[in-house]
Amino acid sequence: MKNISQRNLEKTISKRFFLLSIFKGGIVGAIGWRFFDLQMIENKKYEKLSDNNQFNYHMIAPERGRILDRKMRLLAGNMDGFSLVLNWNKNINVESIIKDILSVIKIDPKDLNNFFKEINSNKNEFAKEILITKNLSQKDVSKLAVRSIEFPEVSFLITKKRVYPQGIIAGHITGYIGPYSEKDTKINIKPHTSWIEVGKAGLEKFFDEELRGKFGRKRNEVTSKGHIVASQIYENTISGNDIQTSLDMGLQAFALERFEKGNNTLVSIKNEKIKKQIEKSKKINFINNDYVYKDKKNRIVNPESGSLIVMDIENGEIICSVSSPGYDPNIFSNDLEVNVWNNLKNNSRSPLLNRSMSGVYPPGSTIKMAVALAALENGIIDYNTKFYCDGAKKLGESTFHCWAKDGHGKLNLTEAIERSCDVYFYELGLKVGIDKIALMMKRLGLGQYYDVEINDKSKGVVPNIEWKFKRDGLQWSMGETLNASIGQGYLLTTPLQLTTMIARIANGKFSVTPTLMINRNKNRFKDLNINPQHLNFIKNSMERVVKGNNGTARNYQIGSKKVEMAGKTGTVQVVRISEAEREKGLVKNEDRPWEKRDHALFVGYAPASKPKYAITVVVEHGGSGSSTAAPIARDIFKHIFKV
Amino acid sequence: MNYKSNKFSEQTYGSLFFSKLSKLNFLIIISLILLGLVGVASLYSAAGGSWDPWAKNHLIRLIFGILLMLIIAFLPHKVFFKLSVLSFFIGILSLILVKLVGTGNVQRWITLGGMNFQPSEAMKIALILILARYFDHVSRIDLDKLKSYILPLFLIFLPGFLVISQPDLGTGLTIILLGLAILFFVGISMNFVIFCLIILASSVPFIWNQLYDYQKDRILVFLNPELDSLGSGYQIIQSKIAIGSGGIFGKGYLLGSQSRLNYLPEKHTDFIFTLISEELGFLGSMIIILIFCILITSIIKISFSVKTLFSKIVTFGIGFLLFLYLSLNIGMVCGLLPVVGAPLPLISYGGTSLLTVLIGVGIVLSINIHDKEIG
Repeated sequence: MKNISQRNLEKTISKRFFLLSIFKGGIVGAIGWRFFDLQMIENKKYEKLSDNNQFNYHMIAPERGRILDRKMRLLAGNMDGFSLVLNWNKNINVESIIKDILSVIKIDPKDLNNFFKEINSNKNEFAKEILITKNLSQKDVSKLAVRSIEFPEVSFLITKKRVYPQGIIAGHITGYIGPYSEKDTKINIKPHTSWIEVGKAGLEKFFDEELRGKFGRKRNEVTSKGHIVASQIYENTISGNDIQTSLDMGLQAFALERFEKGNNTLVSIKNEKIKKQIEKSKKINFINNDYVYKDKKNRIVNPESGSLIVMDIENGEIICSVSSPGYDPNIFSNDLEVNVWNNLKNNSRSPLLNRSMSGVYPPGSTIKMAVALAALENGIIDYNTKFYCDGAKKLGESTFHCWAKDGHGKLNLTEAIERSCDVYFYELGLKVGIDKIALMMKRLGLGQYYDVEINDKSKGVVPNIEWKFKRDGLQWSMGETLNASIGQGYLLTTPLQLTTMIARIANGKFSVTPTLMINRNKNRFKDLNINPQHLNFIKNSMERVVKGNNGTARNYQIGSKKVEMAGKTGTVQVVRISEAEREKGLVKNEDRPWEKRDHALFVGYAPASKPKYAITVVVEHGGSGSSTAAPIARDIFKHIFKV
Repeated sequence: MNYKSNKFSEQTYGSLFFSKLSKLNFLIIISLILLGLVGVASLYSAAGGSWDPWAKNHLIRLIFGILLMLIIAFLPHKVFFKLSVLSFFIGILSLILVKLVGTGNVQRWITLGGMNFQPSEAMKIALILILARYFDHVSRIDLDKLKSYILPLFLIFLPGFLVISQPDLGTGLTIILLGLAILFFVGISMNFVIFCLIILASSVPFIWNQLYDYQKDRILVFLNPELDSLGSGYQIIQSKIAIGSGGIFGKGYLLGSQSRLNYLPEKHTDFIFTLISEELGFLGSMIIILIFCILITSIIKISFSVKTLFSKIVTFGIGFLLFLYLSLNIGMVCGLLPVVGAPLPLISYGGTSLLTVLIGVGIVLSINIHDKEIG
């Protein structure tokens, strides 16, 4: 080894050493800066990425609150169900796993379809749970559980399935639930799982937030291979609240059955003759499995369509709300089949429509109390004012007919209501004027929304001069006042509005508003502000509709000493009758095609002496109010008062 | 050999030992032991808080390695001068042997009596020794002439290409860079350096074609990791996530989620520094880099105080080797360099690199004891 002797070399080496030190210092500096950048400046970003690696979060659905009737009977509840879930991660072979599972149990192809759609749309590379099916039977679970060691990637989940034990009976009120979709933007949840369900109609929709409760979150710690090493509840779930409705399911069930029957008779489907008859009549949509309805002419007919509402006149609680035809909300809890849905949606009788709240009908003669009250309150007539009815009222070029072709002769207000004379009310309408009639109608609850606990409701129409001018830019004509005075023309009401009107008349003091909740309305109604004497006069007239010798509903008295009902019938023309037809003589309702028959209405209350419940019966194309709607109302009251 | 004095021969063995002991550079030894223990602790964490399978072995190797290093330190440095040519030839022979009988998909290892041995690592020390000996041999005036560099270049590129063809790009490049740094250190003409850089730049396409597909992939993915976020880019993405999520103080010892849940590839070997950064954060990482810098500077500082050019080049070479290890490994895990497969000395699990570093430092310590210029 030689010593470094030459100064020159030493100088060179020192210089080179210095250059290399700068180089090294630069590299170390770069590394230091890089770490500073990663760990200090971009720390938040990488922390999030690391968190995404380490954990995946799953929403845990809370148990949905129940819906109960006034006697705590279950309208909507939850049933345990089993779901099969794939713990997906990027390293597993989905196809082969599914193939293996299919060799053990059967899975609905539709579920599989959805599952693969979800897999294919999954762009996120982090592990997560994906639902395979939620319709696992107990048997399937045990079959898979025995061989669970072969399927480490799948796990079971106990899910709650929504059930409606009352089925079709209260379908419109409970509504139904369905999978969350982007449309449900009002719901402020961002679900991470594909099987969150939200209320889609009825109370389920109105009280969705309250029923739903609060979602919890589960946090799984997963390895890079997708194995779950730890799982903890990150946020607790809070179960939804129960909702107690004012409905009485006993009455509701009875009412539905009675309503659907109408004036027809029940025959067993097992009868061979009937079977043949059913095959012939293709128009029948709603055939119960056991029986069908036959009308007086031995034709097989559909159950009656329409609405029936019973309301407590003191607190506005709706104890019965039938809308027919209805649907069974349970079909939405299972995966709804497209043809079933299409059948419901496209059915000419609109089973999805809740007629009680959102069906609008011309009220017909049931509106006459409002016209009479408008006249009395404005001092235009007194109790004894009489008009002469000769069967028609001429106004300019037009003739307005009374339903009684030959007229009622000279009669006063009570008689006019009792016998439902149209001409009397034409005269009254002309004297009072549409604006004053409209004001009274609104005071009695027509033409407005209530804050009843259903989202879908209609406002109806209470026309007046301004309304028509705004809508059509046309002047109001006298003829239209005549039409409105007998509840035809522009006037449209929902069954709920008619019930509210009757409840207010029967109550006499307060502007009752309807509710589906029990114990909600307590002393919070506004005063009605109608002269009680006038109201009593109207109520007496309504009693005579049932009890009077000429009353339109005299054939349908309850006939009990304790309880009698009071009310008003209504028959609503749905097709215009030309003069020529009138000359020929009217075709009887039952001889017309169903769509052209009159609507049958009855509004009333009972007991007549001390009112408690108001009722509205609307039978679409049911013939006449007195022969079809009134007997239904009578039977409902008989059931309520057990007489 | 022209020792100016040989005062050791006049002393008893006992006092000689203590005299040598007192000349040991304890700063180097302490930083070495510290880094080795950091390695043990990190491997304990990498195994999820277990001595098996890595931490225990690493500790045993560390103890034996340090003993070996101390033994080497007490050997007179002329031994290495004499052994330099032989060790280089043995190194080249083993590199050729490994091509013929090597085990594994990549031929890096030979098995000697049940022990896996990676000749490419040992080659680094052998290269430093033979270059030091060569430059010590040529006359000072010849150092300015280009022809004196022909043999050294051959000595550098022969093992370099042998290793690259194993294929082990990382180690091969380390060998070449190390050799070139030594040439630069002893004063190769600056013009020639620039000329070489131009040649290198223009031969990039040629080199590119010579690379294996997986090596090309690594470089492409280095340039854009998102190119293959689940394949070869996965390593570097996950490594950056782990480092970045560590923040200033880290997630805590044994608490690194990226490593614990196996998102980190090679967390016990090449990517161990990622684990440290995740668990100990920016501060921990910087402290460890600082210890490395202390170690490297202490080694290189020795090259100023030695008498012979041989010793100067060897100490510089070993210091620079450590620096190369450090910068290649850490540059790789933080995404500054492509993933080429370079261990972090003293910390990564793996016997050969640990042994190489300890032998190298042993030689430096020996030089420090035996070849001090008498002030």
